[in-house]
Amino acid sequence: MSSTLALATQGLAKRFGPQVALDGLDLSVPSGVVYGFLGPNGAGKTTTMRILTGLIHADAGSVELLGAPFGRGHRRRLFEVGSLIEAPSFYPFLTGRENLRALAATGAPTPGRRVDELLEIVGLTDRARTKVSGYSLGMKQRLGIAAALLSDPRLLLLDEPANGLDPAGIVGMRDTLRALAASGKTVFVSSHILGEVQQMADVIGIVARGRLVREGSIATLLGTEGAVRVRVEPDQVVAATGLLERLAGEGSVTRLPGEEMAWIGVRHDPNRAAEVNRVLAEAGIYASRIEAGSDLESIFLELTAGEPAVSPPPMTPA
Amino acid sequence: MRIFVASLRKLVRRPASWVTLLLTVVLLALVFLALGATARQLADEPGGEDVLLLLTFPDAYTNVLGFILGLGGLLAVIYGAAVAGSEWTWGTLKAAVARGEGRTWYLLMTFAAILVLLAAGLLLAYVAGVALAAIGALLAGVSTSGMGELDTLRRLPEQLARGWLALGEQAALGFAVATIARSQLAGVGVGIGAYFAESFASIFRLDIVQYLPFNAAGAVVPVGGSASAGGQPLPILDPNTAVVVVLVYLVAALVVAGLFTERAEIGG
Repeated sequence: MSSTLALATQGLAKRFGPQVALDGLDLSVPSGVVYGFLGPNGAGKTTTMRILTGLIHADAGSVELLGAPFGRGHRRRLFEVGSLIEAPSFYPFLTGRENLRALAATGAPTPGRRVDELLEIVGLTDRARTKVSGYSLGMKQRLGIAAALLSDPRLLLLDEPANGLDPAGIVGMRDTLRALAASGKTVFVSSHILGEVQQMADVIGIVARGRLVREGSIATLLGTEGAVRVRVEPDQVVAATGLLERLAGEGSVTRLPGEEMAWIGVRHDPNRAAEVNRVLAEAGIYASRIEAGSDLESIFLELTAGEPAVSPPPMTPA
Repeated sequence: MRIFVASLRKLVRRPASWVTLLLTVVLLALVFLALGATARQLADEPGGEDVLLLLTFPDAYTNVLGFILGLGGLLAVIYGAAVAGSEWTWGTLKAAVARGEGRTWYLLMTFAAILVLLAAGLLLAYVAGVALAAIGALLAGVSTSGMGELDTLRRLPEQLARGWLALGEQAALGFAVATIARSQLAGVGVGIGAYFAESFASIFRLDIVQYLPFNAAGAVVPVGGSASAGGQPLPILDPNTAVVVVLVYLVAALVVAGLFTERAEIGG
């Protein structure tokens, strides 16, 4: 593993009884980027996050955090890591400020003024004296982000940080995370909201069934893995698939699940979607809809064999 | 030390701390005021003169402590379980561990804060209990001239310290059970169940049950007199032996809780 990486895993494996959660996960997260960690439900994202924060231990494989090995006995490496894993955790009978102070007493020493600075950053100064039991989900999430930033970490691990945030909160969070990456910190974000990750991340890793299926800069992925999706009558799928394979090459056509009408995905330059339409029309197959794009959704669906993420954004109609 | 101070602040702000203290004082008030109001009538009945002794100082000093420990034992189990269980239920242990905090250290500092709160709670409840016993004595027309008896007053700090140890042991048991159950509710439920199971078992085999944690805690403070059944004295641990047994349970409970937490996979 390279020491220029903020985070790296090699052959990470974890089972829960008979269930395989991670099956040899290899991640390479460069320093100073926002890394989008994507995968369908149950792909192993949260298990990975829990291993990276020492909450659970891997059955096999290794982890390197900020250039040094991390495992049992290396808990102090987490002094330079901030995290928000699953739901934010607070004492309901304490105020937001008191909760941050209580948390600041653990782990790396944190200056007292840092609590108020962070409350200001996440927009909770006005509610700092309100008990957390009276907070909305979005406010708890913002307090969770503040808690993750307490020790001014070099590496930030955030599991679904946009959960419960309103649109303004999401924009604010995105700006904050981008600013952190610009200042040299590394932000590792797992999310289901593909559009959000597309706007925020520099690098993405897509995980499915406990393994990494693609990793790379978002610009490269979007530039090389464009796709066209075509909706046809179910009885025309076989014929359409054959035609499109002749056009785009063998193995580049996928039947997409989840609709009454049949969607077919074609790995093809999105700017040449009309060509797809022409080939089908010449064979008497009239697509009821064609969508083209080089967005994360198509890449994600293709790489995860169609396992849906939650609330994927629509593609741009061609 | 930071964690200890933070834990202390958390417990002081926690409603359960004040509710537990209030409950103890309210029950003490009910017992001693009711005794005071009815003692005269009860004293006229055969064996009723013992009721007056409960309110007579200096013995009332020990009686108040006996009531607090009898009542407080169960409350201490519940309190210990509630504090430990909520660390899992609310995910606050998870947050501390993810910040690189030592699991066992965090656990021990949390329990140290519980011990301090128990000491303060015991002291406050005891002062309130003595005042209520004095009011009860006045209601019953019993003299309170024995309140200044020096011998008893000199023994009070040791008795309170022994009582604190007994409460600490019972809180540690609730703490350990809730840690293993990873749940506030399960910890409280199992803690209460074990408390009553031991009380019930003492009907049959007190020779064995006297070494079990709750009975041993009950024997730590010498209360004077001796228990008997059918004219035969019941086997109850000698107070000094009870201190050793209680210390063993306290340390064992914390070791078990620490080992479990150290090895646990923390989720949710």
